[in-house]
Amino acid sequence: MKKATLFVSALAVGALVLSGCAADDSSESTATTTTNNNSSSTTETAVETVSMLEAVQAAGTVRCGTRDALPGFAVLDESGEHVGFDSDFCRVIAAAVLGDASAVDMVDLETADRFTALQNGSIDVLVRNTTWTATRDGSEAATFLQPTFYDGQGMMVASDSGYSSINQMNGAVVCVAKGTTTEGNAALESSRLGLGWEVRAFDEVDLILEAFLAGQCDGWSSDVSQLTGLRSAYPDGAAALTILPEVFSKEPLGPAVLDGDTHWAQVVNWAILATIQAEEFGITSANVDSIRSSTTDVGILRFLGADVPTSDGSAVLDPGLGLPTDFAYQVVKQVGNYGEIFARHLSPLGLERGVNSLWTDGGLMYAPPYR
Amino acid sequence: MITWLRRNLFRTWWDSIMTVVFGYVGLWVIWTVIEFVFVTGRWEIIQVNLKLLLVGRFPDELMWLVGASLTALAFWVAAVAGGSKIDLNNVQTIPQRLFDYTRRFGLIVALAALLIFLAADIAALLLAFQVLGAVVVGRLVGLARRKVSVLGAIPSIIWHPMLGSPAIALVLVTLMESTLEEWGGFLINFYMAIISIVLCFPLGVLLALGRRSSFPIIRLVTTTYIELIRGAPLFVLLLLAGVALEFFIPPSIAPDAIFRGVTVFTLFTAAYLAEIVRGGLQSIPKGQTEAGKALGLSTTKITYLITMPQALRNVIPAQIGQFISLFKDTTLAGAALNILDVLNVGTAITKQQDFLGQGLIYEALAFVALLFWVGSYVMSRESQRLEKRLGVGVR
Repeated sequence: MKKATLFVSALAVGALVLSGCAADDSSESTATTTTNNNSSSTTETAVETVSMLEAVQAAGTVRCGTRDALPGFAVLDESGEHVGFDSDFCRVIAAAVLGDASAVDMVDLETADRFTALQNGSIDVLVRNTTWTATRDGSEAATFLQPTFYDGQGMMVASDSGYSSINQMNGAVVCVAKGTTTEGNAALESSRLGLGWEVRAFDEVDLILEAFLAGQCDGWSSDVSQLTGLRSAYPDGAAALTILPEVFSKEPLGPAVLDGDTHWAQVVNWAILATIQAEEFGITSANVDSIRSSTTDVGILRFLGADVPTSDGSAVLDPGLGLPTDFAYQVVKQVGNYGEIFARHLSPLGLERGVNSLWTDGGLMYAPPYR
Repeated sequence: MITWLRRNLFRTWWDSIMTVVFGYVGLWVIWTVIEFVFVTGRWEIIQVNLKLLLVGRFPDELMWLVGASLTALAFWVAAVAGGSKIDLNNVQTIPQRLFDYTRRFGLIVALAALLIFLAADIAALLLAFQVLGAVVVGRLVGLARRKVSVLGAIPSIIWHPMLGSPAIALVLVTLMESTLEEWGGFLINFYMAIISIVLCFPLGVLLALGRRSSFPIIRLVTTTYIELIRGAPLFVLLLLAGVALEFFIPPSIAPDAIFRGVTVFTLFTAAYLAEIVRGGLQSIPKGQTEAGKALGLSTTKITYLITMPQALRNVIPAQIGQFISLFKDTTLAGAALNILDVLNVGTAITKQQDFLGQGLIYEALAFVALLFWVGSYVMSRESQRLEKRLGVGVR
């Protein structure tokens, strides 16, 4: 009798535990199987019929992969808003596609997760200071678009160190931040020039600063844009540091989207190009309204989506990208042209336009004609 | 005094050397800390970003909900504490009680004062008084239940949910009113830890019972679960939940990062807790179960009334240790799931234009460490009190 009660109650407790586990297991497994079907079917349809563009328009926000701690490109301000060059290009895309620059969902990503996030569809576009390389194009399922910033890796030294070129830095200790291509580039350059650098990697920029101040580093290597920012904030004043003239890697930074969706890629590309074209036209967020109402330049009218006089009345150019016809107007009005965005976030760091000037000024920023 | 010094610090020449060396090192450490806190430290980075560190991007217009939840929680805790019987063998004098209160709450009050000072905001001060008022009222309500027979007649099963319901309702309203993506800062660490602790406890107890079950399948299932979870690093599990999950589930229906974090923490801590509780169960002599059987109690009743209460009491230190560890591990979720938790905010704010490249990471990390230290210390302090109350290690 006692044994029977014991057995029954053990059974009851067991059933309880078991049902808990079983419920967990079954729900999980069914979820996996159904979603497996789902995800495969959605990717198929995404490739064939539904573009990311329609998904974004339906959702009403652009999910933009970014980061929260890269000076000048994307940092958090006191209220937690993303501020910076990359963040503004996220807003450019939102202004173009949805007509509202604030309709962005900024998704902070670790460097190691950024392509995964693109691949598994948790972001629509990656604007995260990402260098366009062949391997990333080929193996990371990413399609790189118009670069927004042409960067390159450089070397910063103390002004009183006597170095004026990296060729003089024989056997120097070079400090870099861990985890990006910076580390490898420095080692590569050292072996190419036969300089025998000791490359020391640090987790945090502030730790490099500490080491640099303590005299443990002869040189500090990073992208020139980053070095300029760090130099302007150096405790002993910017003059105490010199950025050497050599730039020993090419770092074209641009937005990336997932492979296999040409339509969405074109849309994002033209949103970026609109900022460059606007600067070339001399259109800024301040004067875009007056130019739109007063100009007679057909090219500008077309670009801003205004009525263009034709032989039989007037027409608005719709190039068929799937964007609203006034997308360029919205981009410039709400965010600004390329030069404005640059001046807002990168000039305060002390960066010159350099190769990022318009092609008309001898730089690389060139937009195909909008017609 | 001198005799004491000689006896304890300078007994032999070797002791004297040790005393001098360690005394010097100790003073140097204390001096450096004081210098950092009051002289060299530049705390405006914390002051400017205080809101970001504490609640992240949480919308301003909903901040009152956080304040209200905090007040309701304080009321609940005070009412429960005020309602419990004071140990009659341990009547204290007023100075003793004051000392006891300072030891228990001094740290929290000091932290609150520091935060109010940093915020330099009248709303923060008002909130502090509001919480203080709630504690006093809660204490009185708890006292009233013991003194007024009408209130005392209300069964506990109604009384406690009644007091707790405003707090739970407010927390739920906060969750529903704001999008979870706007949550951040210390708030997210705190909520993730609390919710995971509450959820993992029953699961851990059930797993412990399952592993001791006489039913082989249950034993097998629970043992497999416990060993599998304990065999994987927490960070790997978090990464799997954060990165790999979306390859199996479409992003549109995939749960929020915070939800995933809570799930992983719950499942992970439950496995550890199960082993802790099992250890507690094993410490109960077999005679107790047999005595229960002799009285004709069912196995459920023996577990519920005899073994489990004693087992849980015996393993309080280990349990609290696990919870403290969970509390601190919430920063891992920040790294693995891209949640804007307090540690992520702490490193991100040093990259702001105004604070870039000035070595302010130490200030930021010191502040984050302070928040966690106060939280962990209060938890361990209260667990010690609980142990004393329940007489662990005495009987």
